Amino acid sequence: MKNSTRLLATAGLCALGAGLGSGSAQAAGTLAGQTITNTVTVNFQVGGVTQTAQTGTNAVTVDRRVVLTITGAPATTTSAPGQIDAVTAFQVTNSSNDTLDMQLAAVNQAGGTTVHGATDVIDVANFAYFLDSNSNGVYDAGVDAQITYLDEIAPDTTRTVFVHGDLPANATNTQASGIVLTARASAAGTAGTQGALLTATTTANTAGVDTVFGDAAGATDAASDGAFSARGSYTVAAAVLSVNKYATIISDPINGTTNPKAIPGAVLEYCLAVANGTGAATATGLTLSDPLPSTVTYNSAFGIFVNATVTGTTCSGGTAGGTFAATPTPTVSGTLTNLAAGTSSALRFRVTIN
Amino acid sequence: MIRQTLLATAAALAAFTALPAAATQAVAEPAAGPVSLSGDVKVDRTVTENGQTRHVLVQPDKVVPGERLVFTTSYRNSGTRPIQNFVVTNPLPPAVALAETGSGDYLVSVDGGAHWGPLASLTVADGKGGSRPATGADVTHLRWTIPQIAPGASGTVEYHATVR
Repeated sequence: MKNSTRLLATAGLCALGAGLGSGSAQAAGTLAGQTITNTVTVNFQVGGVTQTAQTGTNAVTVDRRVVLTITGAPATTTSAPGQIDAVTAFQVTNSSNDTLDMQLAAVNQAGGTTVHGATDVIDVANFAYFLDSNSNGVYDAGVDAQITYLDEIAPDTTRTVFVHGDLPANATNTQASGIVLTARASAAGTAGTQGALLTATTTANTAGVDTVFGDAAGATDAASDGAFSARGSYTVAAAVLSVNKYATIISDPINGTTNPKAIPGAVLEYCLAVANGTGAATATGLTLSDPLPSTVTYNSAFGIFVNATVTGTTCSGGTAGGTFAATPTPTVSGTLTNLAAGTSSALRFRVTIN
Repeated sequence: MIRQTLLATAAALAAFTALPAAATQAVAEPAAGPVSLSGDVKVDRTVTENGQTRHVLVQPDKVVPGERLVFTTSYRNSGTRPIQNFVVTNPLPPAVALAETGSGDYLVSVDGGAHWGPLASLTVADGKGGSRPATGADVTHLRWTIPQIAPGASGTVEYHATVR
């Protein structure tokens, strides 16, 4: 027994050293391709005499368990009609016990409710994928690289993928588009090259690393299919503009300013009132243009006022601005400042009836 | 993948020379050794049929993290004389964690074989300057001691472990 004990102690110290260097990932577990070797050592005596120790071993190779998940953005991406490259983010996680390439494919949702609760009524076009190269969680044009697959994603690694889509130009406020991003496990091994799509080993056990799909069901994919999918959405925020033109008789040559009538020589004030609906996006670059009929003459002495206040059907105030062009058609035009949702603004000028 | 080998180490003869001459003469067994050893590993799958749960041991076709393995070592005294103090020492492969907590017929070590005892009696450092009770995941070695094996007798030792 004394000799046995000494042998045990020696073997034990060696094994402890080996154990510290084991290549296991935290959550993903023992890496695929690792060999689990079980070795037993037998010490014994015959007739009170210690015999030659014997060992027996057996080994199994750890197979590849594919587990991947995607999480969509918590909120919808607000976009303007016709916006190019609207961005929504997805988190793609490799929880497999092996490094993977992951093929990316986004598709439009076919109707129904989007993941953020709106009704899917429009589609986006020209899907493109960008890796969050600098890992700051925000898309940076020119920094984040365009990709078609995630390359060499190590076990227990999460990467952010930005999906770009183009919104239809005729989309209107509050319309939504749902999309589904699917990542499919591919073999890793060569950086810069997407490996072959993985398939589960359904045949008898092989001597090498077999593949087992352990992924859950995603938004549109089944469990244990080597893929995972999640939803995202875009919501249109457009300006909802309405324009009204109000005319007020200021004076006429006979009655002056007391109950003036629209007779030749009377002065009219025109007000172009622009309103943006509640819940709409802020309207920018508002330009108004009003070709005058030949029956009136522009009153240059009064001038043009922009950003005027609208009260009911009357306008007041504003700052001098805008332009009048006599040719080819007498036209009054002006630019209003940005118009937030639920607000209004106006351009006003005067003419004389011919 | 499975690979089984049976090795007879020709070492450990240092103990041999330290023994008295009379004892040395008592060694009369064949050079090949009187013990046959064979190792095996199976996957322990839980099967539920008609509401009844039972365990089935299958070939390790798909071995992935979390899978429960059963390591078995079979022994046989193929010699003509009884074997005494038959000690089976089994370092746990680093990639597995012991899935039993003291119910086995073995002693365990959590410090590389320096100290031995039932799992419940052992503690390990908790990383905060103190210690905590050892768990199956802390076990580094297993040891079975069989006092005597008659000529021709055989048996097995086994343990369950989970792939980390």
